[in-house]
Amino acid sequence: MDTQPKPRPSDRELARIPGAEPSARLDPWWWLVVLVIALTVILATVKSDPFWRILLFVRDGVAVTVFITATAFIFILIVGMLGGLGRLSRNPIIHGVATLYVEIIRGIPLLVQLIWWYFAFPVVIQQIGRWLNISVMANYQANAIVTAIVGLVFCYGAYMSEVYRAGIQSIPKGQTEAARSLGMTYFQSMRHVVLPQAIRVILPPVGNEFIALLKDSSLVSVVAVADLTRRGREFMATHFDPIEVWAMVALVYLIMTLFSARMIAWVEKRTRFER
Amino acid sequence: MEAIIHIDNVHKHFGRVHALQGVSLDVHKGEVVVIIGPSGSGKSTLLRCINHLEECDSGSIVVDGIPLDSAQNINAVRREIGIVFQSFNLFAHLTVMQNLTLAQRVVLKRARAQSEKIALELLTKVGIPDKAQAYPIQLSGGQQQRVAIARALAMNPKIMLFDEPTSALDPEMIKEVLDVMLALASEGMTMVVVSHEMGFVRAAADCVILMDEGQIIEQATPEKLFTSPSHERTKLFLSKVLHL
Repeated sequence: MDTQPKPRPSDRELARIPGAEPSARLDPWWWLVVLVIALTVILATVKSDPFWRILLFVRDGVAVTVFITATAFIFILIVGMLGGLGRLSRNPIIHGVATLYVEIIRGIPLLVQLIWWYFAFPVVIQQIGRWLNISVMANYQANAIVTAIVGLVFCYGAYMSEVYRAGIQSIPKGQTEAARSLGMTYFQSMRHVVLPQAIRVILPPVGNEFIALLKDSSLVSVVAVADLTRRGREFMATHFDPIEVWAMVALVYLIMTLFSARMIAWVEKRTRFER
Repeated sequence: MEAIIHIDNVHKHFGRVHALQGVSLDVHKGEVVVIIGPSGSGKSTLLRCINHLEECDSGSIVVDGIPLDSAQNINAVRREIGIVFQSFNLFAHLTVMQNLTLAQRVVLKRARAQSEKIALELLTKVGIPDKAQAYPIQLSGGQQQRVAIARALAMNPKIMLFDEPTSALDPEMIKEVLDVMLALASEGMTMVVVSHEMGFVRAAADCVILMDEGQIIEQATPEKLFTSPSHERTKLFLSKVLHL
């Protein structure tokens, strides 16, 4: 007869059970974050010229980098979910559009995309504005930060679509069947049954994407956004001390990425426990 | 008497496999129909066609006067039918209580307190009210399947479908699930069951159907089937499953 082996709990499933895992201790890798921060502080105090001066100079760039990364990431999570659902859609038009988006965007370097959005896209809008005689469009000027965020969202949204798709596909079909046969609609079963489980699965790759985005946000420095990298270049241009500048910029990025990695690990651990 | 499930000349293909080859069947209100047959005979496919988890290629299915022909009707029919799966399919991220209340709240728009009251009554009925706050993974197979039955009953279905509900269970857990099913049958629930539990067939079935190669070979009462089956195929199958 069509007997199926009795489903046995995997380690991951066992770890989900409240109380089945040792109590949440502080992740030992936090010492690395502390070490890198300590190194930066020591450099800035012991040799405040140029290190402290560099930090002061680039600090508004840090704010820009954090702002761009955080804002873009929120939109990427939304675009990725829509893209992932689109890739899994049985409607051929939705599936086709989502697949075309993912395949095209993944095939073009991020730097080229950012340059296109900043330099080419406004010209396209202006041309259309001139043809249609719409002065708002004809006089369109790109806002550097907005354009940079749009470029990052478009590119990372495509990668994130694939992350969501894989996560949704990893949830057994029986979960959807059970939800649908209880009378739930497609969206209800996605929202209440599939996505809550898929999100736990995709948390590690989503964390990776976040850190990659944080680093790749340095590319926006070529499209007139005064982020951390661009501020570093500006400092170097006036002071001619590349070793110190780029060591400091690298340290600041490292602090942000290592800190993010620990935060992601913490969230991952927390969501294993049930509400 | 009007049939509550009316299946007429249904065909279903999976690629090149002709899984259902013109199946017609009427199930009346309050009837317990058990479908038996060898692996791959189309039993589960037929059952899954009734609530449209599988779409049939041709033929018609009408449940309680509603034909399965539009998305709206399919959802309406699904609200009248509960299904219990071989692999339980409890929502892994929710507690037992949340498993029982989710669809009540989302689909039937019941208030939280009301849905929890109903859930607790049903958990008591299936004998595990103390497991309300447990997660599915913490339960035995038999307990999970009883939760799955309770979850389906929480929607007040008119019909219950069982797709090999005891096949994935350890032998000592089969009885606890069958007892719940027997109680349900004695309350007059309309049930369509794919199962080879002959004890259940003898005790509860009004009608037994033998399927083979996508067709209904024989349809009879349990007494008739066990004592004097009319088809050679039925005799052969029964001789194997009854270990005579």
